[in-house]
Amino acid sequence: MHTFKDSKQLTRMNIQCKNISFSYPKKQQIFNDITFEFNGSGFHALFGESGVGKSTLAQIISGLQIPDTGKIVNQSGSSQIIYTTNQERFPGWQTIQMHFDSILPAHKKEDWQHMMSLFGIEQCFKSKFSQLSLGQKNRVNLIRYLLQSHPVLIMDESLANVDESMRETIILFIKEQFPEKLFIYISHHVREICKYCNQIVVLRSVIHSPQTIHFKGQNLRNNHSIDPDKLKENMLEIVHAT
Amino acid sequence: MRHNRIIHFLILYISALTILFAIKHSLGLSNYVIPAFTEIMTTANRIFPIYFRATIESMIIAIMGHMLSIILACLIGILGRINSFVGIIIKAGAYQVQSYPVVAIAPIIFILMGDGLLPRLLITSMICYFPLLLTFVGVFTEPVPDIEHFYYVTNTLSWDLEIRIRAYEHQKKILTVIEGSATLAMVGTIVAEFLSAESGIGYQISIALSQSDMAKVLIALFLIGLFISIYLTLLAWILWPKKRPTP
Repeated sequence: MHTFKDSKQLTRMNIQCKNISFSYPKKQQIFNDITFEFNGSGFHALFGESGVGKSTLAQIISGLQIPDTGKIVNQSGSSQIIYTTNQERFPGWQTIQMHFDSILPAHKKEDWQHMMSLFGIEQCFKSKFSQLSLGQKNRVNLIRYLLQSHPVLIMDESLANVDESMRETIILFIKEQFPEKLFIYISHHVREICKYCNQIVVLRSVIHSPQTIHFKGQNLRNNHSIDPDKLKENMLEIVHAT
Repeated sequence: MRHNRIIHFLILYISALTILFAIKHSLGLSNYVIPAFTEIMTTANRIFPIYFRATIESMIIAIMGHMLSIILACLIGILGRINSFVGIIIKAGAYQVQSYPVVAIAPIIFILMGDGLLPRLLITSMICYFPLLLTFVGVFTEPVPDIEHFYYVTNTLSWDLEIRIRAYEHQKKILTVIEGSATLAMVGTIVAEFLSAESGIGYQISIALSQSDMAKVLIALFLIGLFISIYLTLLAWILWPKKRPTP
């Protein structure tokens, strides 16, 4: 089995959003005094209906947007939380291989090649980003973020356009290979969220109070199984909460 | 089709000449106002080598001025990007100066610098410089968030990488303005020569004008149009390789 060279010891991590309020200029308020936390490393989720502000909240958590009031308390051992979306591109003059060689140190070459192969995109080495399908683009983009040393990564629809079985392979791989990191996963797949995530924060529109509700997911890992009834129950709870 | 520009020019020139002769005949104008075709050919035979050399000279100055403008605009655009305060000053200054007619400033340059290569080069550069500068400043200050985001969040976005990403993403805009400003470079050279120089095709036109010799002017226009078309064709060949669509 391939082992990743940068794997670290498990550290207790905690990301807190304290009393966050936010509105875009000249627009209605979208967050009103939101408080929640993700505690410990692992795979957590931010879930909610379209347009409720998940991406904006993710950008606030990662420091790309400044809230009107409130603060983010980051106890992850790194000052920076990185955020990736499925809207990103690689520089147009580089092939995938050239890009990875330019952004990652040489000792990580084996890692990204292994991940390319595991994520079913090993045939894309010599291609340019623009030549890939949407699902392939999202997978190569995710790889470059996973191989960064930052302990917290927010994945905003990072596995969109990837088929279900491959999504499962990727999520389980991430959980196994990067147990020391904290992932905040944003997805519209309620089943996926309930099945693989540990802590789930459901974000609701500003008219609801409280605007966020916390749930515990089934947190499936490799070589473990989950109770289908509990999963269904979990899914119902979350759907009702949104 | 790379040679389209030359064909277009030839069609345009022949059409203009035909209209000119049609006006002459319909209004019964004399050969003194609009010379006969045979007279144009005779004049061409006589002055072609002189005008050809003069056009080449003007073309060389136009190309030099054009290249100088591209390099300067690119450097100032980069400088403007690195330092946002300098960038704001450059942008505001460029907009202001661009709105002022360079032709009106040209006599001052000739008074101060006299005739020669340098003032002609300077006027040429000034005429084609500002559209280039505005494009370069605009391109280098326009972020490409979907590419730059990764480098930004991982703290690996250097200024040269940022410039490279923006230049690559806006290459069509840059190449189009480079191509477009080539014509302006030739216009600048001819204006400079027409105003005060003692050589070049602009100078020959000013002499033909003082002699009211329409045949000479028509021959000069033919050579200018032909040389500009060839230069634009060469530029298109360099800037837009076959697989890239022309804008």
